[in-house]
Formats: sequence, structure tokens, C-alpha cells
Amino acid sequence: MRMPFHSATEIMAALLRSARLLKFSPSGLLQTAVTRRNGAPLSRLYSGALGGRGTGVCPRQSSPSSGNVSSRVWPYAGACVRNYALATEKKDESGNAMRHSQALQFELALNKLDNSVRRTGRITKTHLLRIFYDTCRRGYPSGNQALLLLRSCGSLLPEVPLEERTELAHRVWEKLEKLGAQYDVSHYNALLKVYLQNEFKFSPTDFLATMEAANVQPNRVTYQRLIAAYCHNGDIEGASTILSFMKSKDLPITEAVFNSLVTGHARAGDVESAKNILTVMQGAGIEPGPDTYLSLLNAHAEKGDMDSLKQTMEAAESADCSLLDRDIMQVIHTLAKAGHQQHIPYMVECLRHERGFIPDAMNLCLSLITQSHDDIAFSILKKFPILQSESSDPDVFNLGNFFLRHCVTMDTSVEKMFMYCKELQESNLHTSPMDFTLFCALEANKIDMSLELMKLLKEQNSPIKPHYFWPILTQHLKVNNTAGVVEVMKAMQSLKVFPDTETLSNYVLPAFPDMDAAREALKDAGVSLESRMFVSFEARSLAAGNLAELYTMLSDTSCPTLDLSVFRSSLILGFIRSSDMENMVKITELLYNDERFSKKESKTSETVSYFLYNLINQMSEEEVQKQEDKLRTYFNELHAKNITISINIYRGMRNLLESYKVPQLIKHVLALVDLQEQASLSINGTGAENRQTNVNAEDTPFIVTLKKAMRTPDNKESLARTLELKLQHEKEMTPSCYAILISLCCRNNDAEEALNLKKEMSRMDPSAMLDSRKYIALVKTLTYNDRVDEAVDILTEMKEKEIVVDGGSVMSIFHLLNDSVPKGVATVRRLQETIFSLGLTAPSSKLCSPLVSAYLHSDDLSGALDAVIDARKLCQFVPPMHNLLVRMVEKGETDLLKKAMDFLSQVRGEMTMLFDLFFAFLQTGRYREARKIVETPGLRAKPLRLLWFAEKCIETKAMEALEHMVDLTDKLFDCDRDEMYSYILRLCKETNDWQKAEAMWTKMQEENVIPRERTLRILAEILKSNGQKVPFEVAESWFQEADVTPQVKEETTPRRAEDASPYWARVVAQSKKGEPQEAYKLLKEAIEKDVSLDATVFDQLIRSMLAKGCFEDAMEVKDIAKSRLPAFQLSEIATNLLIVTQSKKGHAEDALEQLKSMLQEKKVPSKLAITRLVQAMGSRGDATGIQEVQSLIKNLDMNLTLSTMVFINNTAIAHIKNGDLESAVDGLEAVFTSQDIQNPNMSFVLRKVLEDNDDKAWDKLSIMAERLANQFACYKPASQLFLQLLDFDKIEDAKFMLARCNAVAQQEDVLISYLSQKAQIPGQAGKIKTLLSLIPDFTGKDVLYSYLMKSHVVDGDLSSAKALQEHMQKEGIVMDELSLKRLAQLYRKEGETVPFTEPPESFKFYADLLKEKTSKAQESAEA
Amino acid sequence: MAMPAKKVFEAFVSKIPWTIAGKEMRDYFGQFGTVKKCLLPFNKDTGFHKGFCWITFTSEEGLRNALQKDPHILEGAKFQVQRNRHPFERPSSNKDSEYD
Repeated sequence: MRMPFHSATEIMAALLRSARLLKFSPSGLLQTAVTRRNGAPLSRLYSGALGGRGTGVCPRQSSPSSGNVSSRVWPYAGACVRNYALATEKKDESGNAMRHSQALQFELALNKLDNSVRRTGRITKTHLLRIFYDTCRRGYPSGNQALLLLRSCGSLLPEVPLEERTELAHRVWEKLEKLGAQYDVSHYNALLKVYLQNEFKFSPTDFLATMEAANVQPNRVTYQRLIAAYCHNGDIEGASTILSFMKSKDLPITEAVFNSLVTGHARAGDVESAKNILTVMQGAGIEPGPDTYLSLLNAHAEKGDMDSLKQTMEAAESADCSLLDRDIMQVIHTLAKAGHQQHIPYMVECLRHERGFIPDAMNLCLSLITQSHDDIAFSILKKFPILQSESSDPDVFNLGNFFLRHCVTMDTSVEKMFMYCKELQESNLHTSPMDFTLFCALEANKIDMSLELMKLLKEQNSPIKPHYFWPILTQHLKVNNTAGVVEVMKAMQSLKVFPDTETLSNYVLPAFPDMDAAREALKDAGVSLESRMFVSFEARSLAAGNLAELYTMLSDTSCPTLDLSVFRSSLILGFIRSSDMENMVKITELLYNDERFSKKESKTSETVSYFLYNLINQMSEEEVQKQEDKLRTYFNELHAKNITISINIYRGMRNLLESYKVPQLIKHVLALVDLQEQASLSINGTGAENRQTNVNAEDTPFIVTLKKAMRTPDNKESLARTLELKLQHEKEMTPSCYAILISLCCRNNDAEEALNLKKEMSRMDPSAMLDSRKYIALVKTLTYNDRVDEAVDILTEMKEKEIVVDGGSVMSIFHLLNDSVPKGVATVRRLQETIFSLGLTAPSSKLCSPLVSAYLHSDDLSGALDAVIDARKLCQFVPPMHNLLVRMVEKGETDLLKKAMDFLSQVRGEMTMLFDLFFAFLQTGRYREARKIVETPGLRAKPLRLLWFAEKCIETKAMEALEHMVDLTDKLFDCDRDEMYSYILRLCKETNDWQKAEAMWTKMQEENVIPRERTLRILAEILKSNGQKVPFEVAESWFQEADVTPQVKEETTPRRAEDASPYWARVVAQSKKGEPQEAYKLLKEAIEKDVSLDATVFDQLIRSMLAKGCFEDAMEVKDIAKSRLPAFQLSEIATNLLIVTQSKKGHAEDALEQLKSMLQEKKVPSKLAITRLVQAMGSRGDATGIQEVQSLIKNLDMNLTLSTMVFINNTAIAHIKNGDLESAVDGLEAVFTSQDIQNPNMSFVLRKVLEDNDDKAWDKLSIMAERLANQFACYKPASQLFLQLLDFDKIEDAKFMLARCNAVAQQEDVLISYLSQKAQIPGQAGKIKTLLSLIPDFTGKDVLYSYLMKSHVVDGDLSSAKALQEHMQKEGIVMDELSLKRLAQLYRKEGETVPFTEPPESFKFYADLLKEKTSKAQESAEA
Repeated sequence: MAMPAKKVFEAFVSKIPWTIAGKEMRDYFGQFGTVKKCLLPFNKDTGFHKGFCWITFTSEEGLRNALQKDPHILEGAKFQVQRNRHPFERPSSNKDSEYD
């Protein structure tokens, strides 16, 4: 390809054409207001320029190796803690499933690439291709899948040559376009980026023309990259034209543009002008950034001008633009490419080995090797720091595997590799580099290289073992390459490696038609073989065919030692086939008596024992049954020869014979067992315990009235009424009545009355006491009314009466303290000290934080800091300090701040401290300082902390701080960029700021971030609700009709462009919208007008129809398609949908046919399709059909996680339908007793049986479950039975089940996963309660309650939720923060004020917290 | 398939470098006790073994000796040895003759 240098007018024309397009939508470009100090956020964590000469062009805004594809915190991860998944799900809208699977596919692909990039900063080609093919196979790529694949074709592939990378990008582009991916400006920008990274020469004008033809408007990022492309070639004129165009359109000129210009001038040979750009920048109010200096450094490097290079480095340093290792690596790369190797050692010395050095340096090396600079790569490799803590065994740490592997891939000469290996080994960097290199060569199937390496190894006196040749032989064997095998054998011989039995029998002989042919061929080739090898082969062939001759051969004393294992399989085969009893017995006897046929260390009797076991084991059931007589005679003959077997083997054989249903043979085997060895089994039974339930004491009517009063809304009047009531019932008053009244008073803030009542109560019964919560409420009321002395007295009383303060009350204590903050430091301090010194509860960071707040309240920062430090001494934890730090920053208290920092880094580590400081600076608008902090080398993203601050900003609508956080973290290691942008978009949505939202989209392109579907959806929603056109496709939006408000629809649907667009586009659009009927009309119109349509159009429509269940229409369209396009075939997705539809209609035969033809076409059936088909067969009693399906897909190498249970369960159902309960039970029981299937689950069967009211089947299954539970301690079936009974409201049966099989109550994991399922569905709270009533001493009660709370919240049932909270308080169970948060939400939804302090963080925060907690608990349990 | 109920003395060895084959494993573990069986499965597709193997001793003692030794180093490579928690399915096809 060549870069055509266009005349300025030509470029102008192209630009103007795009400007014309701009007028249609002014929104795109003009609103992009980026006027930060450094212009646009530029990524530095870049691995791109390593790709080549273009180092200076645009590398900086290209992608961070970690930031872009990278670093996500998976929302789904950990969501599936419970593995109690039903075999099938109820909701089976196929369309729904498809959408889900598509989104899932993207997440999966992203996850895979992402992990790779995060770990290594690169992606391997195989990896990328696999994802690409996968995407193609699934047939419907989404926009962001395409973006993900495209952007991976650049510098993320350091192991792939540049041209090949661009070819790949083009292949991806074309293929996905054909498959219906819709490209928007972000895709074009990504392609440009890849061009730049791959130094691909292209014509910018043509590029613009292509965009125009596709009706896509270029944006700021497009222009920036085009400028870079011109500069790359030193074409300043071209760059200037675009630049002036950008200016005329008021597009901001960012640092990236200037950086390109530096490169441009330098490439044009004018280094002075290049340097001068820095001054120009300053004139334009943009400070040259690190990337600017890097462009200049690369310019000098290309010229090999070390003096200027050093000067520039100094200039950068003094301009406070510190160069990272990555930057220096780029310069090294530029030097290498420009042939100035001699300067590289100097630059290598400049590397500081920052965190993240290794992956970057590895990528540099890989890149260099790819471009045949392996010697330079090696010199860098030798400078790698050795990581002590790399692995648990530092002595086995090997450096340079990646280097050697890539050398092999790139076909580096064996001599060079040998040299590298030698040096690595001699400098103790690698223990066995040659072995590893050989491994790589073998793995890559490089036969000549492997053999050469082996030769070298041999010269080094390393042993070459026969199995080294197996990988090569395997490859030859696969294609039946006999000549190749002979060649390898020759090579072995020349290396003096003698093939052993295994090599010959497994890897050599199978290539030949028979042994003689092999012998002949090898002899001809001059390969000599040991005679013993052939003895074993002879033994083998005789064993299988002629036992008499075998006996003759073996019994011959000249026969050498020959391990039975060499010919055992053949012998077994021979025994099965033969009826030559005499020789069978003779051979067995020979084996029993002659040590030649046993391994050195094992006894001959054992050899025979195992042989007999294996014989039976390898016979099929049918064979054993047929040959019963033969076997009986055989065993009896053996007994007669005094051959014995061990009890162990007997047991194994007995079990086998039982399973073959020939128990009559067992006694003949038993006869072979030595009598002394006989033992017997004992069976232990388990006893069940009975449980008692607590009976609640009855309440008196008066208390009931009081309790009712408690529930009425708080006001003075009702309090007065209740107190009156009290006077009337003076005699009935009990301590508990007082307790209720006191808490009523507290709620009404009547300290006086509360105290009076309290005194009355004590008079009546000095030992009477309140519960901890009521005590604390009283203390709170007193404090609130400035009666601190009395409050302290009450606290003291609590101690005296030994009131237990449980977790929930600790929360109340916190609120007591926190609510006292306005009362001043003295009050809070006194209360806090009293509580701690009395030991009512242990100090915690939470309980200490109110005192800090009190100091802040009175503006005493120094006091607040001291309070924090005291708190740390008290409880080892630090209360939240954000507010304190913010205040210190605001007031410029440098000394205090320093003290706080020292303290924080000492107790919580430097990293945490830095984030604290970062947030404090952000919140107070000190962005320069914040930048300094976040640029600290070695800092890495802490997702939870960033989330915390983002949520805070969103809540307070602090856009400025949030935007800065996002900007400043762009180079932060391991920072999830998509997540960051989604925060801004969320806030944009709150403030309905679509301009800002759109600008963010452009910025994401600039930063090369691949947005997740979720992020795009937020953006689309903002744009839509403001009547803006959505400039990209959101794959899922058309499913979400409910979310789109009608007036928005009106604005977006009548788009002029749509009517003008071709038929195919409209058909596809309507199909995607879920309007197949509309689409069908259009299709008919198109056909009338004889417009030619692509196969994908038909396919799209058929899919849409099937998703809506319009089976007949779909078939009609299919016929039309066939008539117009004879080669028409349904796509994979469509075929899957068809199978689903047919199955649901009960046409299982048709569906099966579809499945078969699909498999023939090498398409992969979806999990859903298989499941539906199997279910359809199951409900028709077609067990053989199910078996067929299972065997059809068995050999399919597909990663669909189809549970085997689907087959087993539906087979069981089929048997039940046919009335064959025995088979059903047998099948299921086998599953539960074997270990083959993890988490066997028959809930599906149970549900079906219950639905059908099939009592007979149910009885059978429950008998089975109980048997398994009682005899095998396998409780899963019983638990599943129990839960199904519960689900069908058969409470009595469930109770009965529990009584018979008590262990069910202990199956916590099963029960909890049941709870978690129920809690998500509205109206299921009853089930949870029932479960609790059946198992009152449930071990994970806190978990149960939190699910019950969730269930109430899902139901919107506030009164039940309130009751639950009260109940929990009574039981002394602390509610976790997530539940509290949920409860608070419910309160608000019902329009009530939340009577407790709502946990301040977001749901996600607490959910993550809980997840972390449980996983930690699990870890520690496992440890 | 039902297994003999009697205890088996199996060690599970992992992290075996590719240069070591069944013969070396058997010889190495022979120092701890009599090795009854050594199953080092090879991947028929690649010609490399899978990096782990099962060693069956004839006695508890042999197994215990092997477990007590740490580290296990053979030809400069270190591998892991642990008691086999998941008794392997004894291969029921003709395959096993190639391994032991």
C-alpha cells in the first residue's frame, strides 16, 4: 500500500463533504467541550508504538494496555454462589434468551480478552481468532462486540507482524459487516487507531469518502487520527488542511494534535519546527505533556541524535513531565527500528522497573522479536529484575520462557536460540531453557527445529527420551504419514534413542497396515529394532488370536521377561473370543507361577488377581451373561489349580457381576478367595432426633392494646391517650407494660414522662429491666433533652443489670452517639467514654466516628484528628476520615494534613492514604494536587473506593469533581474505564445533560474504551429522552419497549432517513424492533418490485418471527427465501429458534431432524434448543429419542454448559410417562450414587410429578430419596423432595418428610439457595416463612432473615418488613446493611420517613461487601 | 463402576514437567515403597502428557513416605505430591495397558 499524497484541494473537498453531513446533525461535534489543561485525556499506558516506526504519531491517545479492553469488575461474578439451579427455567421466551445470550457472549468475550490484557498487556492471536470465530458462528454480532474485536487487532498483538494485524482487522471488519453488525463513528475511529498502530498506509481522503458513503459522520477523534496519519508520513500540508478545517468547525485542538505535529515536522525532516511546536502549544494555552516530550524523543531517536535526546529528557523532567518506563521503552523501540542499537544500553539503564514493568517489557521484547530484533530483545531480557516473590519456589523461577517461545514461533535460527539458552542457564536465570525451547518447538509442530534442538541437547549430554518424539509422531499419525514416521524413527536412531514399547505400539505401528509392513519399512530405512520389542508384539498378536501358540511361546524358557501389561488387553480380548479353555487355564496358571510376567515389585498372584478383575470389567454385560458357563468352568478350573485372589479383588468382581445381573457366578469367584481373608460388612443405621418448638406465652389484653398503641403513628395526642389508658389500668400494669410505655415516650421525645415511668417501674419491681434497645432509646431521649447526667445514670444501670448489648443494639448506640453530635464534643465524649469504660460494648471505628464528627461540628480539626488517633488506639480501626480531610484541605491546614497522612499511611497503608487524599483534593476542587497524587508510581485502581466516591458525586450532583476523577484516573493502573464513564453518564442522566453525555461518548472513542451494553444504554436513553438521534446501535434496545415513553417514540420513529433507506435495511430494522409483521409486509413489497435481497435479511426476519412464535409465517418466509436464493440456509441462531419452536409445538421429530441437519452443517445447537427438544421428548415418553440426542451432541466440542441432568431428568420423565417407574428410579439413583455429576438435581422431575398428581411415581421417588439418605448419607434427593413439597404448599407432607429424614434440615446450602431463589420472586415470602416454621432452629438464620426481608421488599410489604425488623431485634439478630438499605428504600417508597439512619453507601457497595465477606468466610473455611 | 472397597494407597502427583515420563516417575517413587501402578495419562492429540499422574503404592507406608518428603525434585524440576482424594476411575477400556 502506498500513501497517496493528495493535493490540499482534494483533502478540502473530502472535508467539506463531511461538513455537509455535519449539518444534518449539529450535535455530534460542536458540543465537545474539552478545555482541560492537557487537552484530552491521553493514555500513556500504551503499548502501541512498540509496533513500529510510527512511534510518535499518535501513540499517546491510543490505548492503555490496561485501561481499555481492560479491568472490569464483573457484575455477574460471584452472583452464582449457590449452585442450586433448576434443570430448566420456567420463563422461556426464546427471544429473551437470545438477547440474554448475546449480552452474555459479549461479556464473556470481553472478559477473556480483558483478563489477558490486564495480566499481560497483550492478546495472543489464537485467543483473538477463537473469539472472532465464535462471534461469527453465533451469527449476530453486536456493535460493541465488533468494536472489541477491531480494536484488538493493533498493538495488543505484539506477537503478530504488522501487515498481518491489519489484514486481520480488515477480515474482521468485512466479515462482521456481512453478518449484520452496524458500524458507527466509533468503529471507524477504532479502525483508524489500528491503522496507526500497525503503520498501515492508507489514504485519508478515501477513508473520509468511505465514511461518507456509509452515512457516518466523522467527529473530533476521526480528524485527530487523520492528522496523525498525515504526520506519520511527514505530510504537514495534509495535516494542516484538516487542522484548519477543525478550527473552522470550532473543534477543540487538543494536545494529541500537537503531538502529532511534532512527529509530522520531524518526519518531514524539520526538527527545529518540531521543537517549536512546544512553544506554539504554550501560546495556545496548552502545556506540553509527557506525550509531547515522548513525540520529540522519538523524533531524536529516529535520527540517532543522542545529545538532543538526553537534552529533551532533561527538559521533560524539569517541566514536571516524568517519563515512565513505558515511554522509555518506546524510545528503545524507535532506536532499534532505526538501527541505532548502540544507544540502547544507555536507555535501558534509564528504566526504573516501576510496577507493571514486566508485562510492558515483555511486550517490548515480543515486538522486537517479531521484527527480527531478537538480539536486542535478549539484551533487554537480561536486565529483567528477578522477582523473589514470583512463585512459592524461588529456586525454580525461570526467566525468559516467553522469549524462547516467541523465538520458536518466529523461526529464529536454532544456533541463536541455543546461544540464548546457554546464556540464560549460565547466568542462573533459567534452570532448563533448552528443554523448554524444545517443548515449544514440539508444541508448535516444528519438526526440523525440534530434531535440531534435540541434536544440540544430546551434544550437551542431556538425555533424549523416547517420549520426546511422541508429539511429532502424533502429528504424522493423524494424517497417516507413514514416510514421516519412518523419518522420525531414523532421526531417533541417529540420536541413539531406542524406541520403547509404548512408542512403537502407540505412535509407530498404528501408521502401518500390519506389523510385517512396519518391520519391512523400518528395515528398509535402516532402522534396527530390539528383538524384545517384537517379542511383545508377537505376544500381543498371538494373545488376540491363538492362545495355544501363545502358551507355547510364553512357556518356552527362552522367552524373555515380558510384563503382562504389555499384552494384557490383547489377552483379555483373546479370552473373551476364545473357547480354548485348556489354554486359558494354562496361561493363567503360568502367569500365577512365573515371575517373568509380573513387574519386579508385584507378586504374581496380584498380577493374576488384577487380570481377572480386568477381564470381567472389560466384558460387557451381554458377554458375561452369554459366557456364563464358560466363566464358571474357568473359575472352577482355577480353583482346582489352587489359584487364589484377594478379598479386595473379590469385592470388585462381585460388584461387577451383580451389576451384570449374573450373581450366580459370585460364589464361584468367592471360592477363589483365601478362607482366612474373609471378612464381613456391617451396616450402621442412623437415628433421628425429635425437636421441640417453643410456645409463646400468651399476652394479656392490656398489653395487646399497648402494643397496638406502639404501632400507631407518633404524636403527642396518642401518647396522652395511651397514658390515660394506663391510669385506668393501673392495677394491670406489669414491667413489660412499663417498657412499652417508656419506649412510646421516648419516641415522642418526652424525657420527663419516660423517666417518671422508669422510676415507677423500679418502685414496683426493683429487679425489672428494659431490653437494651429501650434503654438506649431512653438514653437518647435524655441526651436530646440535655439531661446528660441522667443519661449516664441509665447507662450505668444497664451495666449493673448486666444488660446484654447485641449487635443490633450496637447500631442503636451508634445512632445515639451520632445523633448527639449537635450537642457538642463534651456530650459525645462523655457518652462515648461512659459506654466504653463500662464495657457495654467494644469500641469500634463506627462508634468512634461521632466524636470526630462532633469536633468537626465545632470546627476543631486538630481535636478531630486526635479523636481519630485515639479511636485507632481504642479499637485498632480508623473511623471514616473523608470529611475531616476535606476540611483540612479547605482550610489549608498543611501541618495537620501531614500528620493525618502519616497516621493513615502508617495504619492503613500508603495506597489507602493516597486514595483518601485524592478524594479530598477532588472534592475541594484542588485538581492539580489530585493529579499529582494519582500519578504516584505504583498506584493501582481500587474499584470499591472509586465507586464510593463516584456514588457520592452522583448523589450530590457534583459533576465537576466526578469528571475530574474520571479524567485523572485514565492512566491509573487497572482502572475500569467503561465503569468510570458510566458514572458520568449516570449523573448526566440525573441532570438530563445530553450534550455532556454525547461528549463523553466521543471521549470514550478517543481513549479507545469499549463501552459495555449497559453504558451505551444509559447514553441512548439520555439522547432519546432529549429527542436526539442515537448515533449507534444498541443491540438490546428494541426489546425494551416498556422502558421507552410514548412521546419519545414519536420523536424518533418518523426518521426521514429510514424511508429513504433500502428495503433490506428497513426489513432488518423492523425485524430487530420485534415487528415481524411490518417487516414481512415490506419484504413482500420488495419482492413485488423484484428488489434483490440478501440471505441475512430473510434470516433476520425468520428469527424475528420465530421469536414471536409465528411458526407458520416463518416457514413461509423460509420457502420464499429458498425459491429466490436456492442456496439459502437458516443461520445458527435461526435454526436454534426453529428447534425451540418445533419442540414447544410438540413436533419433536421435526426438531430432531433439524438438529441432525444442523450438526451436519457444523453448526452448534444452543443449550435452550437442546433443552426444549429433550423436554418435548420427555413429556412424550420418548426415552430413546433423548438418548439419541445425547449421543448426537456428545462428541461436539462445544462449550455449552448443558447439564447432563437435562437428559437424565427428562429420561426419567419419559419412563414415568410410560409407566416404567423402575427404570426412572434406577436412572436417578445411579446419578446420585455415582460421583460423575456434580450437583445432581432432580427437582425438575419432582415438579412434573407433582404437577401431574402422579402419586405412584411420587411414592417411588420418595422411597428412593429416603433410602439414599438413610443408607448412603446422600441427602440431596431428600432435600429436593422436601423443597418441592414446600413449593407446592404440601406442608403436612413436608413436615412428615422432615420427621423421617431429619438431616434435610441441616442441608444449609441447598436451603439457602432455595431461599435466594424465592426472595427474588414477588409473593413468595410465605414460602420462606413456612420454611422457617418447619425448621425453627435453622442454622443460618441471619441469612434467612435477610432473604425474607428482601422478599418483603420485593412484595412492597412494609408492615411485614417492619414486623420482621422488630422480630429480629427481639431475637438479637443484627440486620446487615444491605437489608437495612432495602428496608429504608421500602419506607421511602411507601411515603414514610425512615426511622433509622440509612446506611450511606450504595446497594452495590453493600452487596459487594457482603459478597466479600462470604467469600472470605468460605476461604477461611476451606483453608 | 464399583471399586473394591479396600483402601488403596494412591498419591496424586502434579506439576510434572514434560520431560519426565512414566518410567522416571515409577523409578523415582520406587524409593518410597513398592509402586503397584503408575498412571501418567498422555494427551493423544498432542503427544504430551497432561502434567499429572497417579501413583499407587502397595502399602500405606510407601504412600506415607512419599507424602512426608518435601520437596520432590526430579531432573531439577519440583512437583507436587498429595494423597489422592478422588479415586480415579480405573480405565475400563484397553487403554490402561499402555500406562502401567
